[in-house]
Amino acid sequence: MYADYAYLIVALPVLAFLLCLFVGWHLPRGGGFLTVLATFAGLVLSLGIFSEIYPSGIVHQSMPWFANFNVGILIDPLALVMLLMVTFVVTLIHTYANGYMNGDPGAARYFAEAALFTASMLGLIYADNLLQLFIFWELVGLCSYLLIGFWYRKPSAAAAAKKAFLTTRVGDVLFLAGIILLYNNLAALNLDLKAGEYLLQFPVIYAHVAQIPADQLTLIALGLLGGAVGKSGQFPLHVWLPDAMEGPTTVSAMIHAATMVTAGVYLVARMFPLFYAAPYGLTAVAAVGAFTALFAATMGLTAFDIKRVLAFSTVSQLGFMMAGLGVGAAVGTFAVGVSIFHLIGHSFFKALLFLGAGSVIHAVNTNDMREMGGVGKYMKWTMYTMLIGSLSLAGFPLFTGFFSKDEIIVIAYEYGVLINFLPYIMLVLAAILTAIYTFRMWFSVFTGKERSDYGKHESPMVMVGPLVILAVFAFGFGFAAQEDFYSYLDSNFEHYDVDFAQLGMIGGHVLEGHGAPEGAALEEEQGAPEIAESGHGEAGDAEEGGEGEAGEPWYIQILPIIVAIGGILTAGLFYFDKIKKFDPSQVTGDTDPIRKLLLKGYYQHEILTGWFAETVVYGTALICNMIDIKLVDGWLNWLSAWVMGFAQNIRKVQTGVVQNYVTALVLGVVVLVVVITLAMEVGLA
Amino acid sequence: MIPLELYILLASTMFTIGLYGLVTQKNGVKLMMCIELLLNSANINLVAFSAYQPNVNGQVFALFSIALAAAEAGVGFAILIALYRLYGTIDLNDINAMRW
Repeated sequence: MYADYAYLIVALPVLAFLLCLFVGWHLPRGGGFLTVLATFAGLVLSLGIFSEIYPSGIVHQSMPWFANFNVGILIDPLALVMLLMVTFVVTLIHTYANGYMNGDPGAARYFAEAALFTASMLGLIYADNLLQLFIFWELVGLCSYLLIGFWYRKPSAAAAAKKAFLTTRVGDVLFLAGIILLYNNLAALNLDLKAGEYLLQFPVIYAHVAQIPADQLTLIALGLLGGAVGKSGQFPLHVWLPDAMEGPTTVSAMIHAATMVTAGVYLVARMFPLFYAAPYGLTAVAAVGAFTALFAATMGLTAFDIKRVLAFSTVSQLGFMMAGLGVGAAVGTFAVGVSIFHLIGHSFFKALLFLGAGSVIHAVNTNDMREMGGVGKYMKWTMYTMLIGSLSLAGFPLFTGFFSKDEIIVIAYEYGVLINFLPYIMLVLAAILTAIYTFRMWFSVFTGKERSDYGKHESPMVMVGPLVILAVFAFGFGFAAQEDFYSYLDSNFEHYDVDFAQLGMIGGHVLEGHGAPEGAALEEEQGAPEIAESGHGEAGDAEEGGEGEAGEPWYIQILPIIVAIGGILTAGLFYFDKIKKFDPSQVTGDTDPIRKLLLKGYYQHEILTGWFAETVVYGTALICNMIDIKLVDGWLNWLSAWVMGFAQNIRKVQTGVVQNYVTALVLGVVVLVVVITLAMEVGLA
Repeated sequence: MIPLELYILLASTMFTIGLYGLVTQKNGVKLMMCIELLLNSANINLVAFSAYQPNVNGQVFALFSIALAAAEAGVGFAILIALYRLYGTIDLNDINAMRW
């Protein structure tokens, strides 16, 4: 019964968007309560649908749109957990925003845009075909542009918004190319579609992906990955994400935790069968993800802006999720569960950290951690909730991040055993750095001496409340939900006609001898019985013989714990007063090349903006401008000048003297008569 | 009975004179007169053919045509008077405001 109203999950925020946009300024606090209520209604509906279809149902509604396309709603386990997460986290963020944006003259505009942002993300999640997903995907991009540039009078905010829009656009072009390629390939199959089935619908794609030529699959997968890389801030299109801090902190929280960057990961998870079937598809995903995870983590080490630390951390964690999906080449659909689990857990603790940071910034009035210090004395609630978030991000045992992130590292190890250890090594290094930069931030903000004169007060209840709720989830979600979550998500593709064994053959994931033991070992540990046969393409006989090798040695299981605690201690030795042993400024001086490299963010700004944008792009633009003016415009201008000149001459015919006209008329008649007479003589008429 | 050719000859002579005047004359009143010549040459043709081929249609047409010519002359001279008031002349070479 709730499923019948699934469309309201998107429709209500859209309604809130319209109301806030048109009558928002007449309402208290810009009509923020409308946005909260609309999102909360979405949460209630999602919960209702969850109660109806858990553990083994899906909701699929669809109606024709035009030609070969339809609009529809598809709620399967993957979409459902995303719906729940997004509505839940965003409800809290909107609630918090009611306090945070209070008094801003543009509050109505903020809540209108935030509502549209939420609506587009929700629409993206339960779209039942790729075209619809793409439309909402673009809407998400538009809203992010509007919200990052919310304070558009500030030049840096306007620039950041433009950067976000243009950078993600690069990915979107690839995504669109991928969709078109996929459509053409599906259309070329001349499928015999039943009534209510359309090309580009996910079930149809899943069912027929195996019939598409392998080289085409790789191209499609790379195109889709390009879109995901742009949206999820993966290398090399990650540059917009740290700059996206220019918006209000609540926007950062929404973008980083729930509504935007997760879309890329979701896309890869949604199209997992296609990536699985495409040779090199998942390898590319794993490579991009693992590299981004490490790369961004190193930059997080040196940032001074509290929000930039968190931004780099988001990029890094998204790298983890991507890598988690990528190593699905070794463990199959189990990877989707692991990666999405990290996505959900991450959204809890990253929303918590951002809102906490917002709370600190709200009180302290600066983003610079060098001017904070000792904030914890005045903001107890914020400090402890942030501590929970930080522990979770660092992967401290029993916190959510421990269950989610470390599982990715473990399956990366499986991938290592079967294929390549590089992602595993990168992810472990990234995990160490994660723990270090997280606690560098926490220690230097909340402990120690006050390094400047800042406002000393706790934030209002409307802001602290969401922090506490998120802290509960950041702590308990992983522990409580892991097992069920994995098995629920692992069943996602069983609702469709997907033959992973066959897809694995196409994708080249046939792994003699090795595949089965990993699957079997996982089966024991995770209680996820589907992995063995769904994950690996090899024939069943290999699975029986594979009990000999253990899934992974005990030290692999233990390693993430050591990594987390070691990282936290390392950070403590540098930044926590009570156990401080080293002074960061003495270990690495200002001239230290590595420190400088990291501080400058690998000179990305210099290379991308300074060199690439200002010489290559600007130079190309100049040349194009020349061509435009000289060639395109030049030709047109010449033509119009010629026409004008010709007209100047020919207009002299209009003498204004009646006799001339009469003469012309008579001559014309004479000519006509002569011509017609001649023609009659010849016999033409 | 006068042969038909003579009527046609008369009509075409009148027509040619009218056309010549229309093209060469500059005085507005002369132009009006030339136009009358053209019209009436056509009327002569109508009446002549009507008489030779026993059928009154042509003569009826001629009557209509004469009425039309009267109306046309009325409008034409009214325009000429208006032009004279405006420009102080009816030399059509001097009245050439509607030109390039």
